Amino acid sequence: MVKEINDSIFDEEIKASGEPVIVDFWAPWCGPCKMLGPVIEEVSEELQGKAKFTKVNVDDNPGVASKFGIASIPTVMIFKDGNPVDTLVGFRPKQSITAAIEKHI
Amino acid sequence: MERYDIAIIGSGPAGLASAINAKTRNRKVIVFGSSDLSKKLTLAPKIDNYLGFYGIKGAELRDKFKEHIDNMGIQIENVKVNNIYAMGEYFSIMTSGDTYEATKVILAMGMEHTKPLNGEDKFLGRGVGYCATCDAPLYKNKVVTIVGYNKEAESEANYLSELASKVYYVPMYRDDYELTQEVELVKDTPVEIVGQNKVEKLKLKLRELETDGVFVLKDSAPPEQLVPGLEVEDGHIKVNRKMETNIEGCYAAGDCTGRPYQYMKSVGEGQVAALNAVEKLYTK
Repeated sequence: MVKEINDSIFDEEIKASGEPVIVDFWAPWCGPCKMLGPVIEEVSEELQGKAKFTKVNVDDNPGVASKFGIASIPTVMIFKDGNPVDTLVGFRPKQSITAAIEKHI
Repeated sequence: MERYDIAIIGSGPAGLASAINAKTRNRKVIVFGSSDLSKKLTLAPKIDNYLGFYGIKGAELRDKFKEHIDNMGIQIENVKVNNIYAMGEYFSIMTSGDTYEATKVILAMGMEHTKPLNGEDKFLGRGVGYCATCDAPLYKNKVVTIVGYNKEAESEANYLSELASKVYYVPMYRDDYELTQEVELVKDTPVEIVGQNKVEKLKLKLRELETDGVFVLKDSAPPEQLVPGLEVEDGHIKVNRKMETNIEGCYAAGDCTGRPYQYMKSVGEGQVAALNAVEKLYTK
């Protein structure tokens, strides 16, 4: 499951103990984001319990988007202990997203 | 949505060789490309190394190819493919107009010979992009520079000028430019994209532009941009003996897989790709 989060709860949400937190930055007008959505959803099912999955709508949450310099979407960021450890810009096939996350599990 | 068995991206020798072989085995095929099939073929003055056609002109060989596909009822979809997304079981193919779906994809788009700008790779996703309309809302009230290699780029510049605080247009071709008043035309040669963590400036021969974003708009984006996740080595798509790429169900053939850039190599690869794609469709 992918949890929708926002500016005000962001810092709290990325501080999961131990497991990596995945943040999918997206917007409703972005075509590739619509493609990536279901892919992330599938990955979240497969890695259930091993990583936490969230998404941020950059239109509604400009604070987080500018803090992390999101200049292109979709962008998927991986956080560990509250710190960014990996950034994937643009659509990726499932295999490649899973591989990137597994490196941090 | 109607789903094709095989989508072929490109209408040069590799793409057409794939198409006739897939069609022979009764698969539902779609070919994306241009009505003149291949600009390089049309421009070739004389060809002596295509077996069976000694001394033929490029345009003549192109006409023979055209006749061949016409006889087999193969049509070319005359639209530009912007992105291909590997969804797992199928591929989603985005064009400037419609979206298409196909179970297998064969990439045969040739080679883009223009080199990337200095700094283009470094700042990709941090101010550099290949689709201005896709990322436009992120540049609301910011400064955007477009390096345009074709006419289509002009309309992207016009669209962006409605959102951005400033749009510069750097044309890489000679023509009449149909730009709105808000777009500033910069007739100069780009040298380098510079910045710290993100794009700050575009350096040109004669001047420097302070800018938040640079969009590089060409006829075809680099293969790894066209198909996100595709493995590329030295500018060429990495394939094995079966013409399989690193993405399951996605094949590549012709110049886009590497040297030598020759017609016979391209048609051979196109055939191998199509036959393997067809075989996979059978066994599934």
